[in-house]
Amino acid sequence: MTEQQKAILVGKALTKQFKGLIANDQVDFTLNKGEILGLIGPNGAGKTTLVNMISGSLSITSGDVLFKGKSIKGLKPYQIGRLGIARTYQIVKPFARMTVLENIAVGAMFGRQTKKQGVRRALDMAGQIVSFVGLEKLKNQQADQLSVASRKRLEIAKTLAMNPEVVLFDEVMSGLNSNEIDAAVVLIHQIRDQGISIIVIEHVMRAIKAISDRLFVLHHGEKIAEGPPADVLNNKEVIQAYLGKRYQQAAIP
Amino acid sequence: MGIAVVAVAAALPFILNNFTLRTATDILIFAILASSWNIIGGYTGYASFGNIVFFGLGAYTTAICMTTLGLGFFPSMVLGGLLSGMYGYLVGLPILRLKGHYFAIATLGLAEATKALVQNLNITEGNSGMYLPIPDFSIDASYRFFYFTSLGVLLIMLLATHFILKSKFGYGLIAIREDEDAADSIGINTTLFKSAAFGLSGFFSGFAGAIYAYQQGFIKPEPVFAVTSTVKMIVMAVFGGIGSLWGPTIGAITIELITTYLRDYFLVIHTLFFGSIIILAILFAPKGIYDIFTGRKKLGIVYFLDNIRKNRV
Amino acid sequence: MLTQVIINGLLKGGLYALMAMGMSMIWGVMNIINIAHGSFIMLGAYITYWLFVGFGMDPFVSLPLSMAVIFLLGWLIQKYLINLVVQADIFITLLLTFGIELLINNLALVFWTADVRKVQVGYGAANFQFLGATVPYVRLAAFIMALLISAILFQLMNRSRVGRAIRATSQELDAAKLSGVRVGNIYASTFAIGTSLAAAAGTLWAILFPISPTMGGILTLKSFVVTIIGGLGTMLGPLVGGLILGIAEALGTNWFGSTYENLISFVIFLVVLIFMPRGILGSRR
Repeated sequence: MTEQQKAILVGKALTKQFKGLIANDQVDFTLNKGEILGLIGPNGAGKTTLVNMISGSLSITSGDVLFKGKSIKGLKPYQIGRLGIARTYQIVKPFARMTVLENIAVGAMFGRQTKKQGVRRALDMAGQIVSFVGLEKLKNQQADQLSVASRKRLEIAKTLAMNPEVVLFDEVMSGLNSNEIDAAVVLIHQIRDQGISIIVIEHVMRAIKAISDRLFVLHHGEKIAEGPPADVLNNKEVIQAYLGKRYQQAAIP
Repeated sequence: MGIAVVAVAAALPFILNNFTLRTATDILIFAILASSWNIIGGYTGYASFGNIVFFGLGAYTTAICMTTLGLGFFPSMVLGGLLSGMYGYLVGLPILRLKGHYFAIATLGLAEATKALVQNLNITEGNSGMYLPIPDFSIDASYRFFYFTSLGVLLIMLLATHFILKSKFGYGLIAIREDEDAADSIGINTTLFKSAAFGLSGFFSGFAGAIYAYQQGFIKPEPVFAVTSTVKMIVMAVFGGIGSLWGPTIGAITIELITTYLRDYFLVIHTLFFGSIIILAILFAPKGIYDIFTGRKKLGIVYFLDNIRKNRV
Repeated sequence: MLTQVIINGLLKGGLYALMAMGMSMIWGVMNIINIAHGSFIMLGAYITYWLFVGFGMDPFVSLPLSMAVIFLLGWLIQKYLINLVVQADIFITLLLTFGIELLINNLALVFWTADVRKVQVGYGAANFQFLGATVPYVRLAAFIMALLISAILFQLMNRSRVGRAIRATSQELDAAKLSGVRVGNIYASTFAIGTSLAAAAGTLWAILFPISPTMGGILTLKSFVVTIIGGLGTMLGPLVGGLILGIAEALGTNWFGSTYENLISFVIFLVVLIFMPRGILGSRR
């Protein structure tokens, strides 16, 4: 495949400016088909802002986002969702008073439709997905009664139900313990194996190293590195960003 | 069970005297209003404080259609519903961008603005009020006519709502209520859905207004656009249980029966009743009496005190 | 002619500003929309009326009295009633204050009947000429009084301990709690100040216009309009909003006719809500 055919989601000089603050400054990135791109950076680097621009929740001040070669700038969140880009929220947003199954079914009802998706079909599809993510036993529980780990899984399940080509995972592992993180890594790999391209924002370093095919790093709203994990994590600027100048000198290769 | 209720309701006109039948009809009209409110307030989560505007529009449209245009009642009623529904949809588009408090008072402003508009238009005879043609039935028949029309509208409405709840549209509305951002991201065109819900709510309320207008024979802006009535329908819905199909109807029946009973026997208390009941209901049972009967784990005084404990500062 | 209209609007606007100040405060600090606001205006008006009719007390003299009485009433209502539901769904508090409004209005109807009444002060007709317009002294006095009370409120909120505690609570509830602020009492004080401002407006209203137990409803709505135009979160908001509404109504009724007064107010209301929900000076909320 050529470079262009490989890339499914491309950001070009994406900039987001709030009244006085520039949250994202001329950020370029490329997400290739079938890969997992890790997005890392210190707190406040602008990672969620970038995801918000891609998903349409925030308007783009300047720059563009191309999905399968076509610009999606200016589209509303629901339109982007229907095109095949799904996202999770850092602070999960379940439909509290619906059951787990119903939550997932909503994703199937309104996401990318490859064939007519009525309520019946959506519930069936939800039944399959609930098993895939391991929430089978809780499928009739009301969403607001789930534990943190289960809520994160539900958040992921809802995106899958949308039949997406690209998913944006915003810190789906925060608040999870060690075992739960391992399980999440496995799940994310399984999702990638289904042919879905993924951008993962994460702070848990070992998880990010385990799942990412490539990494890109934001700091103060700017991209400071992009490439294979080994290269990026040894990049001087990246280390400096996370740990400060003094540690940079003592960095272990 | 529902069939039994409907059967009883259908038999009532043949048992009750006209006066009581009239009360029953009023109850049905409130049930329609409370259930309509529930569509936008209960299922979609946008508490409108101005739904009375649809009632008034329905009333006036019917009056104008029957007098100026010379149409029959049923076409006029339908037009009343359609006009109110369209109004709700169109005005909903900008207004539903507001959330919470802002939306609530915007709807208040909408009702007041529409009332003020009606008071200044020629076609509505401004503040003087409009007369409607007198129904061409015998006295008994006319009481029954209004009763059955209201009953019919209520039942059709509840049936429609029932199917909506099981449809994509219904799931969409509840998703919007639970988390609008998540609903947006998941692919729901929230603007369209919300406005449609508001329009639907207006549509049925318009029918209620139409029936009221024809029944009264004479309408003026103040009573048909009275904000107190919006609150009444909200209280009925909340009291009976918002977000449930029969809740608002149960609430309407309960509240109206109590109000009427008090009016007949304790006139002074009656006027204070409504304010007091709202206060008490809000304090002790914010989820409604329907909630009390359907699967509360704790009952009795503990339930009520618990509600206060959860909500106090 | 135009000058007369504008001056009338300005003077009425000052009164609107005072009316809205209490509501704006309660809304801004506690996120409570007090639908009963107009009822407190009405009560203030009636206290003045009965003191005037019963004891011959001049309305300007009875102003602090009516404020004090309603302060107490407001304090009790907030502390023992509204505080119980402050954390619940927004429309629960809306319904509660609506219930309170109904209760107060109906009690007033029962005790005072629906008759319209008027405080007829001897100096009511006296006026002077200014820029070609006729200005009744009472109107000017009411306007000045309104501004004065606003200024006092401003000082109170910025300089006093209570004022600072109120502002702290409104900005950071949890931090305020941790600093030892008794939130329940702060809320009660805030509500009490808000309602006493309404009472003051009621007293001034009684001097200028007729009163009845149901006068509050439309005044609550007008207070909404003023609050929204000016914006929440500032003391100046209601002032700006009040003056704008006063002038807009005066100009509007002059051009279209007096029956258009409410239509003008509510159209402005809707337009501002839809296009500028934060209002002219508004902040966060």
